[in-house]
Amino acid sequence: MTLLVLYFLASLDGALCGCRTSMGRHPYIRKTWYYTVAVLRGALAAQIASWLSLFVLLGVMAVSQDRNLLRQDLQNAAERMLWIFLPYAALVMGNLALRLVPSTDLRSATSVLFLGPLTALRTFVMIAGVLFGIWRAHLPATVFLGLVVLALMLSLEFGLNLYHGKLQEKQIRLLI
Amino acid sequence: MNYSPLVFPSWNPHQPEISDLVVQHDPETLKRLPVNKREILGVFERFSNVRAIRVIERIRATDGFLESAAVDRMMLAVHWEMQRLAEEFYHGHRVFRLLRATVDTLRSNGSSGPIRIVDVGCGIGYTIRWLAAHTALPAENVELTGVDLNSTLVTEANRLAQAESLPCKFFHGDAFSANLSGQIYISTGVVHHFRGDNLTAFFRRHDTSATQAFIHYDFQPSALAPFGSWFFHIIRMRTLLARHDGVLSAARAHSASTLVAAAQTAISGLATGMYGARIWNTPAPRVFHALVGFRRELVPPMQAKLGSMLGELR
Repeated sequence: MTLLVLYFLASLDGALCGCRTSMGRHPYIRKTWYYTVAVLRGALAAQIASWLSLFVLLGVMAVSQDRNLLRQDLQNAAERMLWIFLPYAALVMGNLALRLVPSTDLRSATSVLFLGPLTALRTFVMIAGVLFGIWRAHLPATVFLGLVVLALMLSLEFGLNLYHGKLQEKQIRLLI
Repeated sequence: MNYSPLVFPSWNPHQPEISDLVVQHDPETLKRLPVNKREILGVFERFSNVRAIRVIERIRATDGFLESAAVDRMMLAVHWEMQRLAEEFYHGHRVFRLLRATVDTLRSNGSSGPIRIVDVGCGIGYTIRWLAAHTALPAENVELTGVDLNSTLVTEANRLAQAESLPCKFFHGDAFSANLSGQIYISTGVVHHFRGDNLTAFFRRHDTSATQAFIHYDFQPSALAPFGSWFFHIIRMRTLLARHDGVLSAARAHSASTLVAAAQTAISGLATGMYGARIWNTPAPRVFHALVGFRRELVPPMQAKLGSMLGELR
């Protein structure tokens, strides 16, 4: 269950990264389709990261001398991570939900006062969540897996940003 | 706004923005002029503005002059990015609220002919394209136009309007010239580019019998504005030029009293004042406020429509 929640949060994070890195790179007025594709692209990238994490996890499990101990250690680490990730995700989703209220001032305020700072905090939240998860781990394999997941999630936004940046550069070069 | 030497050199409001210098036009013919890289580097060296110098140094140059294609690509990227800012602040909705009230008032005061709205310094025309896409103004005999001195941005604005089949047009030229002028002038983030006597001269050009109203949105200055702008730009903007000029714009923004004083000196035929300076009647300032002007006979119905959002008009 814990792993499933982490997987859901990673997918959500990927979708939001996809949307965020595509913003400001398409000048149309009506662009629901553009953002839909960007969100799906981010979610897909998160699937790749999640599957890679799973393969590494299965690999570590295969060579582990005590699989039950490792499973328990991973479970505990993942549960600790949720203490950081769930409140953060709730804050982000809460502010996104507030944007459904039809008030231009309220919508702008969520962007400037909350979503902006929360975006700036994302990297630190990722690091804090993983470190909080692994700092009381008993096995080096748990620490290793935590760091692999952290590296994959951090590279997600970097990779999507790079991709959308190249796409924009190509479009502008076609114009000028 | 006063500048303290303790504040970053790139926030000094006495200097121009990078975008003011990298594209230059002949004021008479509007023909694009070559820009000497060394000269504009010198401008920012005098202000010890290392950030601006870094941005300009990255622009390719041939024989000491900035390559126009490189500048244009950068300006397009910046304007695409700036559109995001307008989207996040729901700028289209904000402008429309004022325009809706203005057009309705004009119609109820007997104006039945076409009304032309001109976005002065429209860039890639976000506001006008948004109005064309989301409002019924074009169907109400309201012509939506944008004018800019930068021909690259105008070409892009027209390309985008065409790509989405939007009923609006963009022109390269002088917004107040005989063939491009209109009844309602709007702008966003343009007014602070005019300094000193140029600000009064800019407003003086509104003072014609055809002008019915104007709505000029710009950053609202406050001690915290450059800090807020810096934080917002660091998070949301990617191009170094947008980050630099965005923060400097907030530092250079004119106060409400400066804007109103300049407008009232320059324009005799319209009552002018500020709109939307505070959030929900609290002391909290909005990021953008608007200098507005209306023909005097339009003032009472406009006050009735806009309520306390509209400040005193004189």
